[in-house]
Amino acid sequence: MPGAILGWLLTIPFGFLLDPVFDAVGGALLVGTDGLTPLWTTLTNTPVLSLANLGNTIVLGSLVSWAVLAAPLFFAVRIGVIQYRRHLYPKVAEWRIVRVMKASKVYNVYRMFRP
Amino acid sequence: MARPKLLRWQAIVPLSLFLVLLAVTALLFLDTFVERRVEDSATYLVGARVDLESADVRIGEGSVTLRGLQVTNPYAPMTNLVQADEIVLDIRKDPLLERKLHVDTVALRGVRFGTPRETSGALENPPAGAGRIRREIDAWVERVRVPPLSLEGLGQVLNVDAISVDSLQTLQQARLAQAQADSMLESWTVRLEALDPRPHIDSARALAERLQAADLGQLGVTGVTQLAADARGTLQDLEQLQRGVAALDSSARQGLAHATARLQAIADAQLADYRYALGTLRLPSLEGPQLSPAIFGEAALDWIRPALYWTRLVGEYLPPGLDPRRYAGPKRSRASGTTVVFPDRDAAPRFVLQHADADLAIGGAGVAAGTYLARLAGLSSAPTVYGRPMELEVGRRDGVVGPRNIRVFALLDHVSAPMRDSLDVVVSGFELPAVDLGALGARLLLGEGMTALRLRRTGDRIEARWTWRTPAASWERLDGATPAVDSATIGSQAWAESLLWRAVSGIRDVSIDVRIGGTLRQPSLGVSSNVGDAVARSLQQAVGREVERAEREVRERVDALVQAEVERAGQAFAELEAGVSERIGVPLAELTDVRALLETEIRRLTSRLPGGLQIP
Repeated sequence: MPGAILGWLLTIPFGFLLDPVFDAVGGALLVGTDGLTPLWTTLTNTPVLSLANLGNTIVLGSLVSWAVLAAPLFFAVRIGVIQYRRHLYPKVAEWRIVRVMKASKVYNVYRMFRP
Repeated sequence: MARPKLLRWQAIVPLSLFLVLLAVTALLFLDTFVERRVEDSATYLVGARVDLESADVRIGEGSVTLRGLQVTNPYAPMTNLVQADEIVLDIRKDPLLERKLHVDTVALRGVRFGTPRETSGALENPPAGAGRIRREIDAWVERVRVPPLSLEGLGQVLNVDAISVDSLQTLQQARLAQAQADSMLESWTVRLEALDPRPHIDSARALAERLQAADLGQLGVTGVTQLAADARGTLQDLEQLQRGVAALDSSARQGLAHATARLQAIADAQLADYRYALGTLRLPSLEGPQLSPAIFGEAALDWIRPALYWTRLVGEYLPPGLDPRRYAGPKRSRASGTTVVFPDRDAAPRFVLQHADADLAIGGAGVAAGTYLARLAGLSSAPTVYGRPMELEVGRRDGVVGPRNIRVFALLDHVSAPMRDSLDVVVSGFELPAVDLGALGARLLLGEGMTALRLRRTGDRIEARWTWRTPAASWERLDGATPAVDSATIGSQAWAESLLWRAVSGIRDVSIDVRIGGTLRQPSLGVSSNVGDAVARSLQQAVGREVERAEREVRERVDALVQAEVERAGQAFAELEAGVSERIGVPLAELTDVRALLETEIRRLTSRLPGGLQIP
C-alpha cells in the first residue's frame, strides 16, 4: 500500500508530461490502424467495458504504454530498490530529518499499512 | 514463526472507509459532474457558450432535470438563441452501462428565444468543428462582393484621364493579335519558300506549250511517246507539289480562324474595359435587379449566415455511414485527447432521442405569446444505425393575441448518403424585425407581416429561398434627421440622401426575396425586392441623363486609348488574310490550272497515236 501510494504520487507528473506521447500512441491505434477498427467497435460498444472510455486516445495510449512497459519497469525498479536498500538506505536512515519523521505520529500511521 | 494474518483489519477498515467516502463524494458531485458535461458537450456542439444553472440526476428513477439552460447565439454572443427554465428527460438506464444516452421523452418549460445575456457567450477558442465551419462561412461572406450604391459621384466632373492604360485588357489583346498575325505570316512564307512552287509552275507551262506545238509527223511515234512520258513525269511532280501547297493552305486557313477568334477576343476585352472604367467611376446602376443586392446584400448575408452554419453543423455531427467519428475528449486536468466513436451496426447509437413532445409556452401579451406544440422524433447520433430520419414539427396550439400562424417542419434524412435535409418555416402575423440598410441610410421596420424559409439540402448542394412580405412597413433615418431638400447639388451627399429617402420612405408594401444556391462551401446569393425597383425608378427620373453622359464619356475615353492598337491589330489581320490569299492561294490555283492543262494536252497528243496507243 505505501509503495502504491508512493508510486502513484511519483508517477503522476510523468503522466501529465507524457500525455502527448500517449495521445500519439492512442491516435495511431484508434485512427491510424484500420485493421483494429472491428476490435475498437466491439470494445467500445460492450456494456461495462465501454465505461473504460477506451475510445479516448489518452486513455488507450496510456493503458497500452503501461502494458508494454510494466514488465521491464518492474524488473528495473526491483533492481533499483535492492541497490537502494543495500547501499543508500543505511546512510539515509542516519539523516536527522529521517529520524524526526520516524519519531512522528504520521510514521505510526504509515506503519499500520506495512506488511 | 508466526503465520501472517489473512485479513489485516488495520488496512481493510481505512481502505473501506476511503472507498465509501469516494462513492459518497461521487454521488454528491454527480449533479455537478452532469451539469459540467452538459455545458461542455453543448458548447462543443453549438460553437458558443452554453450555461446550465443546475442538474438533478436521479438514476434510480431514470430522470434528469436540467434547470436554467441558456444557449448563446453563435452570431450574437450577447443574445441567447434559446433559454429554458426547466427540461425534464426520461432516460433509459441500461444504455448508461455502455456510456450511451437514450432519452424516451423530453418536457420543456419556460422556453424563450432571443433573450439578452448578461455576459458574452463568445468562445475565445471555438471548438474544432463549429469553429472551422464558422471561419469558412465568415471567409465566404468576406469574399461576397455586395455592389455599392453610391450616388455621390454623380454631378462631379468626370476625371476620365484617371483611367489607367495599363489596366485595359484591350491593349494586351490587340498587341497579342498583332504579334500572332506577324508570326503566322512569317511561318507560312518560310514553309511556302521551302516548297518553292514557282519554278515548277513555269517549267510545267513551258512543257504544256511544247505539247501544244508538237507535230506527230515531225516527231514520229517514238518522239511523241517520249514527250508524253516526260509530261506524265512532270504531272506526277506537280501532283505532289500541289498536295504540299494544299496542306499549307489548309493550315493557313485554320490559323486564320484562330486569328478571327482573337479579333473577337479584342472586342470582348473592349466591352470588359468599358465595364472596368465605369466601375472606377462608381456610377450607380439604374436597374432594379442590380440595386436590390446593393440595398439588401449585407442584411441578406446576415440572415443566411446562421442558416448555412446550422445546415453545415448538422451534416458535420450527424453524418451518414459507419465511419469512426472524432470528437474532442472531455475536459479534465490531464490532456483531453480525442475521443473516437465507433458506430456499430448491431449496437445502439451513442445518443438517441426517440420521441419528444414539448409544450413551448411563451408568456405575456405580445404577438408571440401563446403555447406551441413541438414534436421531435428519431434524433440519433448515428442515423445509419438508427435507420430512420429525424422529424421536427412545431406549430401554434392557440394564441392569446397576435400570430395567425406559425409552422416549422424539418426532415433530416442522414440514413444513407447523400444527406437530404429539408426545412420549411412559415411565420405570419409576427412583428418582423427592423433592418438597417446602410446603403439607403435608413432603417426598415417591417412591422407585422409574413416570412417563409424553404431550404433543401442534398449532399453538398443547397437550395433555399427566404421571403419577407409586409403590408405595414415604415422607415426611419439611421441618423434620426429628416433629409432636406431638393435644392442640393446633384451628386452631393445631401442630394443622394434626399433622393433615396424620397424613393423609399413612402413604400408600405415591401417584399424581399433572398435565394441561396450552389454548394454549401461556395453558395451563390441572389436578392430581389420591390424596394430596389422603386429606387431604380427614382434614379432613372433624377439622374438618368447624368449617368448616360458619364457612360458616353467613359466609352469615348476607352476608345481613344485603345483604338490605335485595335486598328493595328485589324490591319495585321487583313494583311495576314491578303498574304495567305496572295502567297498560297495564287500558287495553288496556278498549280491546279497547269495540271489541268498538261492533262488535256497529254490526252490530245496520245489520242492521235495509231491504234490509240496508251502512254504508261
